[in-house]
Amino acid sequence: MVDPLLEPGAGLLDEYDAGGWYDEAFDADGSVRDAYSRIVERFRELDVDEIKRLEKLVADEFRRQGITFTVYSEEEGTERIWPMDLFPRLIAAAEWDELARGLTQRVAALNCFLADLYNGGAAAVADGVVPRWLVMSSQGFERNAMGIAVPHSAHCNVAGIDVVRDADGRYRVLEDNLRSPSGISYVVENRAAMAKACSWLFYDHAVQPTEQYGQMLRSTLESMAPGGGDDPHIVVLTPGIFNSAYFEHAFLARSMGVELVEGRDLVVDGHSVYTRTIEGLVRVDVIYRRIDDDFLDPVAFRPDSNLGVPGLLSALRAGTVTVCNALGNGVVDDKGVYPYVPELIRYYLGAEPIIDNVTTYMMWDPDQRREALGRLDELVAKPVGESGGYGVLIGPHATEQELDQARATIEAEPRDWIVQELVQLSTLPSVADDRLEPRHLDLRPFVLTGERTQVFPGGLTRVAMRRGSLIVNSSQGGGSKDTWVLAPEAP
Amino acid sequence: MILARHAEALLWTGRYLERAESTSRCLNYAANSITHLRGDEARAEGELMVRTLGLQEELEAVGPLESQPQLVAFLLSDTDNPGSVVSAVIAVRENLRSVRDRIPIELWEEANGLYLRFPFLGHTNAAPAGLHEVLLMVRRACLAISGILNEGMRRDEGHAFVVVGRMLERSIFTVGLLEASHSDARGTMDATRMLRLTSSLQAYHRQHGNAPDPDGVVRYLLHAPDLPRSVLSCLSRAEEGLTGLGANAAALDRARRKAALLRARLELGEVEEAMASAPVATLQDFAVQLAGLASDVHAGIVPPLAMATVQAQYVRPGDAGQPGDAGEPGHAGEGAS
Repeated sequence: MVDPLLEPGAGLLDEYDAGGWYDEAFDADGSVRDAYSRIVERFRELDVDEIKRLEKLVADEFRRQGITFTVYSEEEGTERIWPMDLFPRLIAAAEWDELARGLTQRVAALNCFLADLYNGGAAAVADGVVPRWLVMSSQGFERNAMGIAVPHSAHCNVAGIDVVRDADGRYRVLEDNLRSPSGISYVVENRAAMAKACSWLFYDHAVQPTEQYGQMLRSTLESMAPGGGDDPHIVVLTPGIFNSAYFEHAFLARSMGVELVEGRDLVVDGHSVYTRTIEGLVRVDVIYRRIDDDFLDPVAFRPDSNLGVPGLLSALRAGTVTVCNALGNGVVDDKGVYPYVPELIRYYLGAEPIIDNVTTYMMWDPDQRREALGRLDELVAKPVGESGGYGVLIGPHATEQELDQARATIEAEPRDWIVQELVQLSTLPSVADDRLEPRHLDLRPFVLTGERTQVFPGGLTRVAMRRGSLIVNSSQGGGSKDTWVLAPEAP
Repeated sequence: MILARHAEALLWTGRYLERAESTSRCLNYAANSITHLRGDEARAEGELMVRTLGLQEELEAVGPLESQPQLVAFLLSDTDNPGSVVSAVIAVRENLRSVRDRIPIELWEEANGLYLRFPFLGHTNAAPAGLHEVLLMVRRACLAISGILNEGMRRDEGHAFVVVGRMLERSIFTVGLLEASHSDARGTMDATRMLRLTSSLQAYHRQHGNAPDPDGVVRYLLHAPDLPRSVLSCLSRAEEGLTGLGANAAALDRARRKAALLRARLELGEVEEAMASAPVATLQDFAVQLAGLASDVHAGIVPPLAMATVQAQYVRPGDAGQPGDAGEPGHAGEGAS
């Protein structure tokens, strides 16, 4: 009889096949890449039962803490446990440095562009770098933001830049999020859960910590106080407990040690913003808002908004308060502006982009449109005003009918669409039932800008749950991974 | 400095936490005693319990009590009844969730954990098997939450509001119990019952022997300065909490003065004297005074900020209602970027 304790079961990685995609842990001939050698070794020692046990441990931890997100399209059970895959993503120190430089460069250029548009003379538009009609027709362009002073010209204080690795393993920017990028709380909580459940995985790895985010954000926001006052009163503005990211809003307030407020907690009087406390009104200097522009002030924007603060725009104009991120950043989240970002980097910084865009066809250009629509079955079509993966058409996965419909829609409203080359996202081993299989992933690093710019080490790695799927958005069933930025190897 | 909304949420946390605990205790008592009571007696006991908890109106919406399972469903799992254990557990969790950024993480986790142990929540009104275990679980969780509140939370305004909320709720419960006991349809006051429902039986025995007389118990539950559930203790602690809060908030100072006044009426024997001739009317009057104190505290949390003028400056009539007026107010507003 065989003693089950002495006879290990089939290894979780025994039949691992990267399937021709760029795998971050294994190279093309199946050998382990350097950075992953120790992690792969640890996972080879695990069996299915142990993986299941660890997965349960992590899920219980998230459930106990109420770390959930909300899926609005579902009829019930709107609070779902945050899904995290146990196999972490590792980024070597040198690779991270390069990526961080590229991100800093990109956000710097985008901040220049926003400052130029709203507080400069729109030089980039005048010089023809970005067409005027494109900016003016952008849903995210906000006339009300014109002339509102922004300290340090830092219009975007927290940016989430979505990057992917292509078939050659090169990083490329897929999307810019300069309004209210979410996900940072999950980065910190993923690490906390990993450290609790799988502390042994970290041995022999010098991993950069993540718990300092609150401190980083707070110092960034402090530097944004109007007039540069000491010890400014900062608040986090949330739509409330029913919002999908409420957990994150509470996390941010707690980790910064500031108050989490809703619109109804704030009041504008004499062009200043105050919180309503039991002792009366207390003046506010900086609002880190997690509410869209449209909902911020029912007087200036949507009159049906219950979430905002009547009169907030008047306080912004009077310069008594700073709203972070600034109004009007949506113009650069417009995917119609995205193809121009490399040119904006050259224009403002006089440098070549460190991280490339994904090759993109602008549908408002007749030649590019003809070419792209001709081979739409190989490409990806994206609506310019959406985020979270909504409305995206992946050519190779679409039916003939869907493709025809997309062509007609694009022909009718070319301004509303871009078409991109399909990027075969890189993969990593991920837990799939009784073994590890390759799953595609992306990365959302966070870039903080106030008086200076800092890139938070790592970011949110999102992973598709089904084999071959390229959809990583959590709202559409994607999961996440703990992301480790490794400290430089000792010489 | 605490946001008015946070103060309100923490006040209600205290009230609902107390309610979850006292309703569980009542239900446990009712479930045990009804097993050895017959027909009419069992029904009378059930009605007395509902009256003790001040839930007559809520019960009317459901209809007359016919059976023990019905009483259990009404007091344990009926989410339409704000006085049920489950409603209180949900309210504790929701209120703590809205102040999640300013309370100890363990406090939130314990409240969330209690909520998660009701798998039937939001689905049916069916009571789970093992009533006793469920009630024990609720009371233990409430004690754990109290422990974290006492030992893990800074003594700031937030803490004071939880304490004030608990003490208000507790004093209202104790006075309600005394008043209902005086009006027991069975004609006699059950002294042991009053002591059990306030977890005070053992303490009473040690101090006054084990043959409690109803009048002595009423005095004890009103006046005992060292008994955590006596009305006097509750008012003293509420007053203490309000003293800190009222220092900079004038409206709350009014509530403090009212608490002090009610405490003095007890201490000086005024209440006892009035009860000698008209016990029920006196207790009813005291209950009204306590309700007035509670609304003074609520009114004191949102100070007059000349809100009307500020809003009139910016909001056209009908533009922006109270939060919750529009469908799903929280579901919009932040993009999924």
